[in-house]
Amino acid sequence: MKVRIKGWTGVATWRWVANDDSCGICRMPFDGCCSDCRLPGDDCPLVWGCCSHCFHIHCIMKWLQSQQLHQQCPMCRQEWKFKE
Amino acid sequence: MSSTTKSPANQEKQWNIIKNVFCLEGTFSLLEGGEGEEEMRQVLRLVQQVGAGQLVLDFALDAIWVTLRKVIVPKFWSHFIVYSKQKNDGDDESSEGSVEVMSRIATAVSELYDSAVSFIPQIHKCEMLVDQTGAVYEACVAGGLMEHFKLHLRASLHSQMPTSFTLLIHKFYTAAFKVFYHTQVGNQGEETDETSEEPIQCGGCDAATDACHCQAITNTFCQVNRQLLELDLLERLAGDVVSSLLLGVITDHVTTTCRDSYDQSRIKQLEKWVENIVVGWLEVVYCGGRGQLSSADPAIQTLVTNSLNQTYIAALYHTYTTTRIDQLFNIVIEYPESQPALEDIRDCLDRTHLRDRLVSSLRSAIQTRLLHPGVNTTDVLHAYISAIKALRVLDPKGVLLELVSEPVRQYLRGREDTVRYIVTSLTDESCSELCEELLVATPLVLDDCPTEDDPSDPWQTWTPDPVHAHTLKSKSQRTADIISMLVNIYGSKDVFITEYRTILADRILSQFNYNTEREVRYLEHLKVRFGETLPLLHKCEVMVKDVADSKRINSSINSDENPRREKQKFPVSCMILSAQFWPSFKEERLKLPEEVTRDLDTYTEAFQELKGNRTLNWKPHLGQVQVEVELKNRTLNLTVTPTQATIILHFEGRSKWSIEDLSSVTQVPKTVLRRKITYWQTQGVLQEVETDVFVLVEGEEAGEESGEATVAGISSPSLAPPAIEEDEAESVMASAQDQREEELQVFWSYIVGMLTNLDSLPLERIHAMLKMFVQGSVECSQQELRAFLDRKVRHHHLIFTNGLYKLPKN
Ligand SMILES: [Zn+2]
Ligand SMILES: [Zn+2]
Ligand SMILES: [Zn+2]
Repeated sequence: MKVRIKGWTGVATWRWVANDDSCGICRMPFDGCCSDCRLPGDDCPLVWGCCSHCFHIHCIMKWLQSQQLHQQCPMCRQEWKFKE
Repeated sequence: MSSTTKSPANQEKQWNIIKNVFCLEGTFSLLEGGEGEEEMRQVLRLVQQVGAGQLVLDFALDAIWVTLRKVIVPKFWSHFIVYSKQKNDGDDESSEGSVEVMSRIATAVSELYDSAVSFIPQIHKCEMLVDQTGAVYEACVAGGLMEHFKLHLRASLHSQMPTSFTLLIHKFYTAAFKVFYHTQVGNQGEETDETSEEPIQCGGCDAATDACHCQAITNTFCQVNRQLLELDLLERLAGDVVSSLLLGVITDHVTTTCRDSYDQSRIKQLEKWVENIVVGWLEVVYCGGRGQLSSADPAIQTLVTNSLNQTYIAALYHTYTTTRIDQLFNIVIEYPESQPALEDIRDCLDRTHLRDRLVSSLRSAIQTRLLHPGVNTTDVLHAYISAIKALRVLDPKGVLLELVSEPVRQYLRGREDTVRYIVTSLTDESCSELCEELLVATPLVLDDCPTEDDPSDPWQTWTPDPVHAHTLKSKSQRTADIISMLVNIYGSKDVFITEYRTILADRILSQFNYNTEREVRYLEHLKVRFGETLPLLHKCEVMVKDVADSKRINSSINSDENPRREKQKFPVSCMILSAQFWPSFKEERLKLPEEVTRDLDTYTEAFQELKGNRTLNWKPHLGQVQVEVELKNRTLNLTVTPTQATIILHFEGRSKWSIEDLSSVTQVPKTVLRRKITYWQTQGVLQEVETDVFVLVEGEEAGEESGEATVAGISSPSLAPPAIEEDEAESVMASAQDQREEELQVFWSYIVGMLTNLDSLPLERIHAMLKMFVQGSVECSQQELRAFLDRKVRHHHLIFTNGLYKLPKN
């Protein structure tokens, strides 16, 4: 007997490769979306800071705008810089 | 008093004259009635002279009454008493035919009539006496002495009526009615095809056709009626039988007409029929023949019109309505074909007082015919939908529906597959009235969101709700659309959308159809119905979007430009899900063969490259695999599940496996494995050689047996039906109910606490207290809570008595 696979349709869930499960700002899971968004993934991506903390991009942007003087990471209070 | 009249001899002579003229001794047989007018005047003068007006009148009338009582009436009844005796002597009832009965009655009545008529001159004399002398009689009836006489006659007859008479008069009128009905029906051309042959027997008088005596019967009958009518006896002696014959024939006719057909309105036609029969028969009885009503006494005309409307048309409505009520279950099921019958019933309900009867009859029919385990949920639902539509015809306010359908809803709540069926048919174009309903864009009207009655409802046209309504839901809820009514079975949108989400997930993961157009359309409709903002619907939207995104990612990863394709042994595509938005999956384990894992990993790398910082977690047991199994004598092209593919791949390297060993390499539990392996047994590829040990069956070399014919097993993949074995059709998701049950468990500890402290509580209190203490965490309607508590009762975690829930002892 010879078995030949001609096509495989699998099922998978996607997830962000991050060192945490949920966003420290909105408390929503990274695999979901921020409270302003309706669609996860491409439409509500994550960004990483140099401090290696990451957030929904919409969450950190909102946070940074609300900071008048210093732009700090809300988790570690280090100066926020986007990681390349 | 004048002195000339005072001599005794003269007095006696005068008294004799008076006595004779007024028959004071009751010797009416001597009566000649031949006094001339002059003579009569003299006598009257005489009476006046002696001042005996009152005395003479009293004597004269008394003589008449006594004669009536002692002579005339007994003679009349003697005709029937003889019969009565004969009968008691042992002759059976039929010994005397209707012909004999008719002639007996005719003789008796005409004798009575003659006797009564012979009193008329005497009555006239008495009337003159009253006029001349001012004597008075005890006037019980208006209309003079003649009426008084008739009253006495009636009273005497009545007081002496023998029991057998009712029977005879019944026989008499029945025979006459039969003749009448026969000709009447003949005239209306309603006779059935039985008459295509020349009948041997007359349908009217039962005699041979050539000896038909219908006419004779009619003549005798008319004479008797006329005489009785003149004596004012007709109503008294025959009124009951005249009407009971009509009522009987109306009932029969209505029942026959309405038998098993609901697709025509009958009531107008029946009304006409009744009017014909009633007027015709009353004409024969009261007016001496058909068509005589217009020339009859106005009193008779009034009698006929009144009894037609008050008695017979009313009886028609009653009979029709009760007949239809008995058929109502079928009528409801056959909606919309039965619309005409329903409209009839609606009109009849306004004219009868049968609403309560309708409700209780339909409720019990539903109970016995619908609400038992032998009936499919589909059928119960279909009946419920029909009932919603049909009862709206009867009562647009929805009160009837509410009263009748509560048991159905309660029953449907208890059936596990109800929601699934409703949701499936809502979103399945091939099946349905429900699908059509969904496309009608109206927002849901739900029990759990109280709505005010439409304020634009003009007050001028306001009518009070029917009396039952006060215990029921608000008007707008009662008249909600069908989908709302169905959702209200559960009282919560969430239950429905949860189920929809599960079904959607199953559909996506069993069909792997990347075309989402249809689902998008249904989602749009559901959003209109259930509200844009429902979080569960939002999740469904993301699920559908996942499918579309997956399609795009697959085509990008599998495009020819992608260098990885070289490395892959077979094309891989993937349904990539946003885990947060999908219902939870049943956990199943499966370790895929190395070669498969390698190719899936290649796909994962491609994905990571495409979507930086994101990766995939495969659900190895889910999916669809196209395999080609090449055996010695045949090649199979099959679409199988990953587990099935894994099994057969292991047999490629080694032709004999025990369940034990296979389970350890695949990490699939033995019980599951045993179930999955049957697929390959039915394909004839594997065989169980001893308990739990399977070997590969290669078959004979090609050509050895029947050559090419066996190659018929090959079919192109596109034509091969998805060979998913039966149990694979079961949901891959944890059932919606399981999920909900889990959520509701939050309440359980609170409920136990309450019942420990307060011993026993009704549903409403528990619901109210939960609302207070567990605020906001989980939405739960009272109905849903009841279902939850009832499940606890079934599992003996609670006891339910007298409307109260309590904890079982210890
Ligand atoms: Zn966030
Ligand atoms: Zn966002
Ligand atoms: Zn940080």
